[in-house]
Amino acid sequence: MTTRQRLDLLSRAYPRLFPRTELLRLLRAQLGHADALDRWIARDGVRVRARAPGLIYHVCAGNLAVSAWTSLAHGLLLGARNAVKLPGDRDDSTARREILDFVRGLPKQLRGLVETHRTLDDDLFSRADVIVAFGSDATIGNLRARTRPGQKFIAHGHALSLLWIAEPDRLNSRQVRACAVDVLAYDQLGCLSPQAIYAPAGTKIGPLGEKLARALEAEWRAIHPKPPRPLPVAARIAEARDVALALGHRAWLPPKGHLGWTLIHDPDPAFQPSPLHGVIYLRTVAEAKLTAALASVAGRISTVGVAGQMASGQLSSRWEKAFLSLGVSRFCPAGRMQFPPLTWHHDGRPVLGDLVTWIDSELPA
Amino acid sequence: MNRSDDLSLPAAHRAWTKRLLGPINETAWNELSWELFARQFARIPAYKRLALGRGTTPKTFQSWKDIPAVPQQLFKRTRLFSHPAARPGVVYETSGTTTGRPGRQYLLDAEVYRAVSVEGAHRAGLFNGGPELFFLMPPPREAPHSSLSAMFGFWQKALRQTGHRFQVRKGNLDLASFRKTLAEAIKRGRPLGLCGTAFSFVHVLEAWTGLPPLRLPRGSWVLETGGFKGRSREIAKADLYRQIARLFSVPDHAIWNEYGMSELSSQAYARGTAGLHQTPPWARVLVCDPVTGRETAVGRRGLVRWIDLANVDSVLAVQTLDLAERTRDGFRLIGRMARTEPRGCSLGAEDLLTGAASGH
Repeated sequence: MTTRQRLDLLSRAYPRLFPRTELLRLLRAQLGHADALDRWIARDGVRVRARAPGLIYHVCAGNLAVSAWTSLAHGLLLGARNAVKLPGDRDDSTARREILDFVRGLPKQLRGLVETHRTLDDDLFSRADVIVAFGSDATIGNLRARTRPGQKFIAHGHALSLLWIAEPDRLNSRQVRACAVDVLAYDQLGCLSPQAIYAPAGTKIGPLGEKLARALEAEWRAIHPKPPRPLPVAARIAEARDVALALGHRAWLPPKGHLGWTLIHDPDPAFQPSPLHGVIYLRTVAEAKLTAALASVAGRISTVGVAGQMASGQLSSRWEKAFLSLGVSRFCPAGRMQFPPLTWHHDGRPVLGDLVTWIDSELPA
Repeated sequence: MNRSDDLSLPAAHRAWTKRLLGPINETAWNELSWELFARQFARIPAYKRLALGRGTTPKTFQSWKDIPAVPQQLFKRTRLFSHPAARPGVVYETSGTTTGRPGRQYLLDAEVYRAVSVEGAHRAGLFNGGPELFFLMPPPREAPHSSLSAMFGFWQKALRQTGHRFQVRKGNLDLASFRKTLAEAIKRGRPLGLCGTAFSFVHVLEAWTGLPPLRLPRGSWVLETGGFKGRSREIAKADLYRQIARLFSVPDHAIWNEYGMSELSSQAYARGTAGLHQTPPWARVLVCDPVTGRETAVGRRGLVRWIDLANVDSVLAVQTLDLAERTRDGFRLIGRMARTEPRGCSLGAEDLLTGAASGH
């Protein structure tokens, strides 16, 4: 089967997740040519072709299935065999079931390239050419220690994302709604989910909070099915609300106090993790203090979604510089945080380019 | 002590302790809890805000079950100290955090904590037979902000025991030395009490795999506490107890769990794998629904809320994230919840907070 055949099968099975044109763009962007795996391609006076790994071992995250789907799609596009270590049970995520559903939904020719395991298969793990691992620092460390020399290890450790409201006074309703989409997509469980909304110092918090609260409620109402709120999740949401109440922080809560979303203004600009599940902190920070406010998560910030300034141009270069110094690897308009293009450099790396090796031929064609 | 007394006076502290350790019937319990709530409501701004938000004030107080509880997390965010004009003499801290905010329990002095932690252990039966104690912890002088080390130090003094009781020195648990110490203690024939965190026992079990079991004298016991907070390795309680029982040759019912935390002054104890925790008379536990804040029905799960009348210097009511089932006589602790549980690619508090809030 050629790359293009696999691409067609994948995009036909999941046209919204993996549109054909985007997959082609991904191949061209990262391998230089859509057929680079199937034949020699002339490049810089020599001929090259890419070699796919024989076996990729995917260790999947427990929070969201989408990272596993994408990782699998990369392996399938390359024509590799894919072994999947499924995440364990947890009460606030259906990731495992969704990964299995995704595999079942693949056409037979691609499904034959995938096998799933509930526990780590030591034999497959040691035989894999590439390990792609999602997880905590401890998990990544443990897995890395098991790798053999020469085995590629691609780690996606923990990361978080932020929303930046560049011009709060000029925020229109579409942009506010886009912020709400980012906060509530995937129940805020992904590394691309914002854990805080930052706005420049001096922002009038009251009006901004009101707008955001209205948008969050509207977005929550639009979500079907609603994400679950089992006891441990409800407990953390209630705790965040109580802490805000005790500290005298302004909080915007949904009507009748449902647990879909919670917006809390924290006057301390220093980042504090959110309990997720729709709990979002609104903070203001002076430009000069941004790096200090985010110092505890420097190097772990994946995406900054930007609202309020995109209509008039790009992110202000001063703020951009500050975020870049914190290691941010992606900027995008608000509303797109959870929906990066397939060509996205996940954690700043080429997702296909990392998997393949190259063969060079200086012989005449 | 009447209601106008100033609890910041050591004498008043002593008088309060005396009331706690005396008989407490339902009327006395309600009176004591009202007094402490009223005092802390008036003196701790964050607590007052929370109580007002909940619609409960000393004037509207009807039952101790109405007392608003502060979330454990609040000890990380603000100072909950009921003596605004005084300087705390003792500060106990929860595990450190990379965001620089451990939870802090501020005490005027450690006297109430000392009295109730010794009396609580005594009433639970831990001191029966005068066991010789050993602690898999650093001594209090090496860990001045550890409430667990402090408590074990109080026990040591209460039982008038001298010598090297604390086995962790300068951050290091010398297992060879500990084994030798134990072997000598076993020869003396007195019952032994071995105390430490669950994780420290896992460490011992792993290190002594392959070594012959130790035969602790009759009447000996093992006390574990604190779970596996912030640790990547953990084993099920039943497995841990089985392995402890085998290594130290003690029956299941001689293995105790201590359930306490830095933010509290009192502790609950349970015996054996299936044992239910018992609180001392001056502390009670409610199992509550996190959304309604109300006590769950018998047989239903909820979160542990402590009402600790010995928590005189901070806040008497603490809402934990620990999961429990309400039983007819009390509660069955199901698990101590990590601060947050996002795993995979989303960075959650569990990764920012090295260790968790609960535990000493």
